[in-house]
Amino acid sequence: MGLATVEMRRAKLRFGLLTIAVALLVFLILLLTTLSSALISSLVGALKGLDTQGLVYSTSSQDNIAASRLAPETVAAVAAVPGVAAASGIGTFTTSASISGVEGDLQAFGFTPDAPGAPTALSAGRLPANEAEVAVDGDAAIGDVVVIGSQSLEIVGLLRGAQFNALPTAYMTLPAYERAVTEINPGLPFVPVNAVAFTVAEGASLAEVAGAVSTSVVDVKAYSLDEAVASIPGIDSISQSFGILVGLTFIIGIVVIGFFFLILTVQKMRTFTLLRAIGSSSGGLARAVTLQIVVVVVLASAVALLLTLGALQGINTGIPVSIDPVTVTGTIAAVLIFSLLAGLLSIRRIVRIDPSAAVGSR
Amino acid sequence: MNEDPVVQATGAVPDGTGPSPAADALSHAGALLQVRDVRKVYGEGHTEVVAVSDATMAVDEGEFVALLGPSGSGKTTLISIIGGLLSATSGTVRIGDVEVTGMSRRDLTRFRAERVGFVFQSANLVPFLTARENLLYVAGLVKTPRAAAKSRADQLLEELGLIGRAGNLPEQLSGGERQRVAIGRALMNDPDLVLVDEPTAALDTAMGRQVVELLRREIKARGKTGIMVTHDLRMVEYTDRVFEILDGELTHVEEPSTLGH
Ligand SMILES: Nc1ncnc2c1ncn2[C@@H]1O[C@H](COP(=O)(O)OP(=O)(O)OP(=O)(O)O)[C@@H](O)[C@H]1O
Ligand SMILES: [Mg+2]
Repeated sequence: MGLATVEMRRAKLRFGLLTIAVALLVFLILLLTTLSSALISSLVGALKGLDTQGLVYSTSSQDNIAASRLAPETVAAVAAVPGVAAASGIGTFTTSASISGVEGDLQAFGFTPDAPGAPTALSAGRLPANEAEVAVDGDAAIGDVVVIGSQSLEIVGLLRGAQFNALPTAYMTLPAYERAVTEINPGLPFVPVNAVAFTVAEGASLAEVAGAVSTSVVDVKAYSLDEAVASIPGIDSISQSFGILVGLTFIIGIVVIGFFFLILTVQKMRTFTLLRAIGSSSGGLARAVTLQIVVVVVLASAVALLLTLGALQGINTGIPVSIDPVTVTGTIAAVLIFSLLAGLLSIRRIVRIDPSAAVGSR
Repeated sequence: MNEDPVVQATGAVPDGTGPSPAADALSHAGALLQVRDVRKVYGEGHTEVVAVSDATMAVDEGEFVALLGPSGSGKTTLISIIGGLLSATSGTVRIGDVEVTGMSRRDLTRFRAERVGFVFQSANLVPFLTARENLLYVAGLVKTPRAAAKSRADQLLEELGLIGRAGNLPEQLSGGERQRVAIGRALMNDPDLVLVDEPTAALDTAMGRQVVELLRREIKARGKTGIMVTHDLRMVEYTDRVFEILDGELTHVEEPSTLGH
């Protein structure tokens, strides 16, 4: 007869309240991790999703693709560096446009199909193949139209996790991009690219090739894609802040679970002592507490997951948010593991029980 | 249990006559329970307390004896050592062919579940289990098949007049009913020895008598061996023999009570 389950059935209110408290904490953790990864991905998703090994910025850019300006000839200069397999220009700027009839800010990217620097995070449709087509990460559907200046581009593909600056982001071919830029800045002698995406030849080292690009091409600095993503301004502090919030919530949750079970255990010390005296093993009692922790955490996690799904339906964050099953599973597993560790506090008390204390206790 | 033919011959009749303790009544070969030179010292230095001092006693199978003494005389300490709840400082306790002193902690736990039935003074029952579940729980500890455990629990509850209260939690039972459930729990696993520590302390006299009477009946009906700790002389009449303890020393052993039969 499961001592643990019988007790929980008889003390539904107590265990119900605990489950709700834990569920709220797990909910907070899940919501924070989901929102933070959504926010970070909307800031860095575009760069991260580029199909390239390295990016070349101008030296004056301070590691910021938006501040980088390169003359179109730089593409050929980079391509000529030994070890570079292919190179292609990428342009990006923020403008206003209408997507599916809604006016607003838009981050535009220009790239060359099938060359380094094309986006990868397609969730539906395909990438643009000509100057009249565009792929979008934003509130749009395939077949809708992006109107940017005088151009009407047909949406042929949808991307996910490919935003930049937390704005709806449109990927078009370089000629369409150049036209959009020229229309806004008619006086430009040429349309610069912001970066050169490059891949390295087989067997060549990315770091060495990047070093070679930086030294042999004037006024540029080459980065691996990971370096470029990590150096996006503000990313560090944003992920740190969210990390602290998530970490704190996590710790609070574990402490609540650990102390709650410790309190329950201490309250039941007389009963546990009696049980030890009449011949229950400490192992059996420890298993009962462990089982209760598992049941509470699993039930709480299920409730928390429902709350998270509901909350993401209900709140408008302005950025695309999706639940990542890996993150959710990982979070719940971590809560469970650390709860069980916190449960060791209780188990230690149980193991230390002196069964003789049951005799003659008043 | 008694393999020695000599014991078979002497049977359960205690030796010794009169109020003076006869040496072979305190300890004779083949008794179910043999306590030899058991000493228990708590603490050390000048906080040292000798709770039990060189206790030697023997109880035959089927006997129900009282351990009588004033408060602080060492009664609880002695039966805790006998029941494998507490380790002795020196001396040996033997139940049947098992030496209790010198068992590992783990073996003692199993020994308590299988061979000893305890009735404590109070806080005897698991508060979140019903009367019936309290009995079934200990049966589970020794892996009694479910059906057998159920019928035994019901039989015991019936005998103890509790069948109508089997589904009640301890908090829904009176003090006397709770002690009766504890008696059922103590007998559930068919133990060699039933140890009872002041079962009436929390009860009024009438209720106390009723519980002890029932305890005696159950122990006798099942041929169990029992030791009841008490400081209440009136409860002694339900037992076969009395061991008296004073300041940790067993001072007096009595013949079976004439009233008790
Ligand atoms: N854990 C302990 N540590 C130190 N001294 C103890 C401990 N337990 C009992 N004693 C002492 O040992 C002596 C015997 O105690 P014990 O509990 O066996 O007496 P008792 O006869 O059961 O008394 P009561 O009738 O009051 O229950 C007492 O002097 C008591 O103070
Ligand atoms: Mg006592």
